[in-house]
Amino acid sequence: MLEIKNLHVAIGGKEILKGLTLSVGAGEVHAIMGPNGSGKSTLSYVLAGRAGYEITQGSIVYNGEDLAALAPEERAAKGVFLAMQYPVEIPGVTTMTFLKTALNAQRRARGEAEIDAIGVLKSVRKKAAALNVSEEMLKRALNVGFSGGEKKRLEILQMALFEPKLAILDETDSGLDIDALRLVAEGVNALRDPKRAMLVITHYQRLLEYIVPDRIHVLFAGRIIKEGGKELALELEAKGYEQIIKDAA
Amino acid sequence: MSSAAALPEVRREQAAALFRARGIPTRRVEAWKYSDLKTALGETGPDQMNEVSAAWSLAALPPGVESFDLSQGHIPDWALPHTGNNAMGAASLAFARSGVALRVSGAVTEPLRLNLAQSGHLRAVLVLEDGASATLIENAEAAAWRNAGFDIVLGENARLDHVRLSPRAPDAVLVEEFFVLVGSNAQYHAHFTDFGARLSRTELQIALQGEGALAELSGVSVLGDGAHADVTTHVTHAVPNTQSTQLFKYVANGKSRGVYQGKVTVAHGADGSDSRQTAKGLVLGERAEIDLKPELEILADDVKCAHGAAVGDLDAESLFYLRTRGIPESQARAMLMRAFLGDAIDKVEAEDVRATVRQAVEKALEGLA
Repeated sequence: MLEIKNLHVAIGGKEILKGLTLSVGAGEVHAIMGPNGSGKSTLSYVLAGRAGYEITQGSIVYNGEDLAALAPEERAAKGVFLAMQYPVEIPGVTTMTFLKTALNAQRRARGEAEIDAIGVLKSVRKKAAALNVSEEMLKRALNVGFSGGEKKRLEILQMALFEPKLAILDETDSGLDIDALRLVAEGVNALRDPKRAMLVITHYQRLLEYIVPDRIHVLFAGRIIKEGGKELALELEAKGYEQIIKDAA
Repeated sequence: MSSAAALPEVRREQAAALFRARGIPTRRVEAWKYSDLKTALGETGPDQMNEVSAAWSLAALPPGVESFDLSQGHIPDWALPHTGNNAMGAASLAFARSGVALRVSGAVTEPLRLNLAQSGHLRAVLVLEDGASATLIENAEAAAWRNAGFDIVLGENARLDHVRLSPRAPDAVLVEEFFVLVGSNAQYHAHFTDFGARLSRTELQIALQGEGALAELSGVSVLGDGAHADVTTHVTHAVPNTQSTQLFKYVANGKSRGVYQGKVTVAHGADGSDSRQTAKGLVLGERAEIDLKPELEILADDVKCAHGAAVGDLDAESLFYLRTRGIPESQARAMLMRAFLGDAIDKVEAEDVRATVRQAVEKALEGLA
């Protein structure tokens, strides 16, 4: 589903990703682990299409298409979803209005019929309950005054609503206590599907106890330096990044 | 209020003299620095403007409202107009031969719908007696030029909800001036939409002259290429324990200009005055300009006054976030603009009027995309 080959990405002329290669198939959950500054967030942003992230070499092919040629909204309509590390607060736009606008924008782009307000509300309510997203949150301005946990739950609610083909979770565990983490992880696990690929980006092994990946890739200095199965997380936990980096060198 | 002894004719002559002395304001007049009226009027000089009167009409006269046509003689005492104290206010007083005076007694629920049309000067007087309440919906049509002067007098415990709607009028020069006297525990709530003209000037001179008086001013200007909109306010807290709030928002695209000049004066001894002024602008193009100039003049000791002004572009992070959720860029931009203007529109209390305002703003925003 996702084929990244020799990807080099620069921000403001400074190269952050330096030849990253990664392949994720449908139904698979891959984890990208790495220390701070290794390029994890750059990878998530370049996949979502943020401006200012220049691809200087290599390619990102998503379902046979050059992902870099698509605008962020086109990627979303084609099934790419990024759960952000820091979801943006947007005063003046209620959460429910935002969800409805986004869902219908994606459907319209795909040539599907739009869903009326009541239909969206029903669908949102059903999914919100499982993630402990309250009715009151849906009425508030998007992410405004939400706690860290509420913001992350809302990201996962969006994922459940939009039903993406490729979900990228950027540091979804950051700022969550153990109960919130479990709730979010359950939400993510419920969305595991043979047709859906997931890329879980995290600094810590902790999240991977709850969302167990098929493959783990260790990212350092813009490149994947080690790959393995789920047991790699335990090795990282035991040895620490420093030792893994030394071993790989 | 002016003395009832002064005859309108005398005051007209005084006003005409004032206008002759001051002339049509240019940018050299500080209060008109961002709005060059003389240039905007072009060939239309004072002589061409003298005897031209604009037209007004009222949709219906709800019960409890008395109306008087100011082009008739023997103006009733309650409607004796008040002298404007600047050049354009003086001009409308001196030269307007048309106009309307309205008197409201009691609580009038049905809105007064006042339509202004055609070029010329116009005078309007609105008197709310003690305890009276009304909603004024003013629709200002496009015209080559119009100079309208309003006198609004709110008695004790009176409440006026005033909403001004104006079209996008790229060829028009529209000046409206409001002189508002707010009595004890009376409330003046006003909202001004402006979609820009060659020159559009809304000037509010408000005196909170009874304890407990309140003025709540808000407005939204959505300006496309070639549009100008200027809101100039001067609120005077003349007595203790009065309150004023102002919230004006501007969106400017293309070659356009939005102006807010807001002055709040707290008079000697007007302790317990509470004033808040907020003006914010979104500048969407390199050729757009928004000038925000809040100003405070505090002559009393125990007051709460706050003002803030900020001009910026749409937030890039927000735009990116919305787009990653599948919302196309133009739609995301419109969404953020709508959100930016939202709190100012929400100041309009009546739900149906608010819906009308929102619809007009939506249409103007579509025109910007």
